[in-house]
Amino acid sequence: MSVQSPSRGVAVPAASSRSGSMFAKPSQEQIVLLITIALLVVFGLTLNGFATVSNLLNLLRSISILGVLGLGMGLIVISRGIDLSEVAIMAGSWAIALIYMQNGMPVFTAVLLALAIAVLIGVVNGVMVAFVEAPALFVTLAAGFVIYGLAFWIAPAWVVYAPKDAPGLMYLGAGRLFGVPVPILVFAACAIAMHLFLSRTSIGRFIYAQGDNPEAARLTGIPLRPLIVLEHVLVALLAWIAGLVWVGTTGSMQMAITQGTMIFDVVLVVVIGGISLIGGRGSVFSVVVGCILIGTLLNAFTIMDVNSEVQNIIKGVVLLAAIVLDNWLHPRDEETARQGD
Amino acid sequence: MNDGVMQAATATQSAAREPVLRISNGSKIYGGVHAIEGVNFDLYPGEVHALVGENGAGKSTLCKAIAGAINLTSGDYLLDGKPANFEQPRDALDAGICMVYQETSLVPTMTAAQNIELGNEKLLTRFRTLNIQAQQLLQSLNFHVDPATPVALLGTAKKQMVEIARAIYNKARIIIFDEPTASLTPEEIVHFFHLVRDLRARGVSIIYISHALEESLQIADRITVLRDGKLVITAPAKQLSRDALVQHMVGREVAQAVYGGKAKTHQRREKVLTVENVTMGMAVKNMSFSVYAGEVVGIAGLIGSGRTEIAKIIYGALKRNLVNGGTIRLRGKPIRYRVPRQAINDGIAYITEDRKANGFFETMVVDDNVYIGSLATRKGWSFLLSRAKRSKLANYWVDRLKISALQRKARIIELSGGNQQKVVLAKTLVQEPSIIFFDEPTRGVDVGTIPHIHGEIRRLADEGKAVVVISSYLPEILAVSDRILVARTGRIVAEFDAADATQDKILYAAVH
Repeated sequence: MSVQSPSRGVAVPAASSRSGSMFAKPSQEQIVLLITIALLVVFGLTLNGFATVSNLLNLLRSISILGVLGLGMGLIVISRGIDLSEVAIMAGSWAIALIYMQNGMPVFTAVLLALAIAVLIGVVNGVMVAFVEAPALFVTLAAGFVIYGLAFWIAPAWVVYAPKDAPGLMYLGAGRLFGVPVPILVFAACAIAMHLFLSRTSIGRFIYAQGDNPEAARLTGIPLRPLIVLEHVLVALLAWIAGLVWVGTTGSMQMAITQGTMIFDVVLVVVIGGISLIGGRGSVFSVVVGCILIGTLLNAFTIMDVNSEVQNIIKGVVLLAAIVLDNWLHPRDEETARQGD
Repeated sequence: MNDGVMQAATATQSAAREPVLRISNGSKIYGGVHAIEGVNFDLYPGEVHALVGENGAGKSTLCKAIAGAINLTSGDYLLDGKPANFEQPRDALDAGICMVYQETSLVPTMTAAQNIELGNEKLLTRFRTLNIQAQQLLQSLNFHVDPATPVALLGTAKKQMVEIARAIYNKARIIIFDEPTASLTPEEIVHFFHLVRDLRARGVSIIYISHALEESLQIADRITVLRDGKLVITAPAKQLSRDALVQHMVGREVAQAVYGGKAKTHQRREKVLTVENVTMGMAVKNMSFSVYAGEVVGIAGLIGSGRTEIAKIIYGALKRNLVNGGTIRLRGKPIRYRVPRQAINDGIAYITEDRKANGFFETMVVDDNVYIGSLATRKGWSFLLSRAKRSKLANYWVDRLKISALQRKARIIELSGGNQQKVVLAKTLVQEPSIIFFDEPTRGVDVGTIPHIHGEIRRLADEGKAVVVISSYLPEILAVSDRILVARTGRIVAEFDAADATQDKILYAAVH
């Protein structure tokens, strides 16, 4: 068993510890991974043009932005928090930066401006949650609207285009390295960095501890308030990276996404992969598996030409199924949780 | 009503009658583990039947099965000789089986009368009628409770009366009391015993669960001892003694009495902590005391006397009044912590009274729980986790506290109460504190583990640390303390030297 692995310790507690039980419950990651593999096989056999290298790369590329956002959301859900302003942070900070770029600001400065705006919002979110002690759900929901309003005020357009003379900016979205689209590499790099952060550093361990039992964490001496601010800043940072890929891919930033269901998709990939809403459980692996499942479904829907209403219904049902599965694997009922009295 | 002749008569009569409730060969399996196994239990009309056993012995499981909260995996459950099949607690209630919790199942904002009728409301209710009915019921039970008072304003004993009245209102024939006396004063306990005898005289059967063995011996007609989910013995209370019960509970001769032996007289050293006139709202009022290095100070007092609160104030988990909040000095230097982290970095530790709520991290294994305690201190922190350091710390504390090594790979939630408590201890002691507050150090800990924990408390004091032990259980206070403080209504009202403290003296100070 690997070193300091909250991810491991959490992901496979059943197999190692419940030797006496009739059957060990599989972890949610394992279940979702199996379903994903089954779907890949089924779609590969039945759908024309699904199991081609270019389509699979396309599949991965299509989920990389969602994946990067999902890593941020995963981190904060593990800590028993939530950040519903993540998509708004991505869109708002980049819309403003692109407007300044159009007005002649150097590309590099504008990218840093986007970063500064994102981090600032993260700090404000964190301070509101940690020090004002307002519920994260409402703080970040409200923050999303404020960011949307402010960004629209400064950059009054639904779609803000990047200037044509910024090829460096486009590379992250459209480029390829060794034949692999760069967005996939960005997602992979973020996932590895996040995994190392969560499983090999004390701060990662503190995040799990906070999600497991915030009061115990406080009494143990973990600095909860700075930790919460840091978590919101990291979410904003990942939103900024996702925005970088987004701008590179589309050459623009659409403010409309803040009003859509994208934040719902982000929560979906996190919860589906086994990051429990009760906190302290799940890992980066959960986000990756969740992303691949959703990516597979969306890709197959596109090939099958399923309309977006039906897609939304299916996504909603999948989210519900994931939450039911979560409840079954992590029962909060004392009878089963405590194995007796 | 409650004279001894009548009790004796009822008790003897009951033996001849048919049992009102019988469980034969009852088992309940949780995830492959037997919570209770092959238990035969019966209850006669008008009988008080006490259930004793260590935590995890299966008392709660048995009672939940009786009250319809869970179903038995196998075995028969007969009520009046007919098989009972309860889908939910409501069915058991309708059959006249009622479980009385300490105070948890009342709605605080509703009046006593409303609570009594809770669950049986008619579509339209007149408050007047409701109050009159409740008043009649309460009077018939000799309870002095105003039916129109919101339950939140009632004391613990009166809340319990409302619970009992509700049980009677529901025509309960079998009442299960779970730790009914835990938060009552001695006078209230005496009154409660009268109540139980009244109920028995009315033909109500009572199942009585209590940690205090003396109470079970005093009130019960018969006593059943459970151990590890199995029934050890069922016998008339008159044939049992405290020692016999402990022996049945533990399953072996207890070599030395668990709470035996006075601590040796203390050699006072440096005064490390001074508390002067500390005040917090209504809970702590002008509390003052001092703690010295190398001694164990016991703080006795009832629940609500401010003993837990003062520890949490010193630790930074609660905040005392900003104005006139008093002074706390650590080695002469005034301190006021905003968060526990500051206290920990100054070498103060607090070991919680409720480990399940805020003591440990249930998703982590033993080693990680210990290691995270160290990581949370300024000295023990490092950015990257170290496998070597984790093993070193965990090995040391697992060895020193005799934490069952087999269970190290298991999630902590699956450990026994005693091992869980030891992990919480290790997680705190790894922070190398010099002043340690133990709040109820042996609550829910198996009898066999208690001497280990008491030994550790003594060892810490011998190492020169200042130790404060807060406990409701007087034999524990007497066994571990060099000096005993008694808290009442937010003040320290008495101080005894270990040599001349007795249970009676402490109780008198705690109550009067």
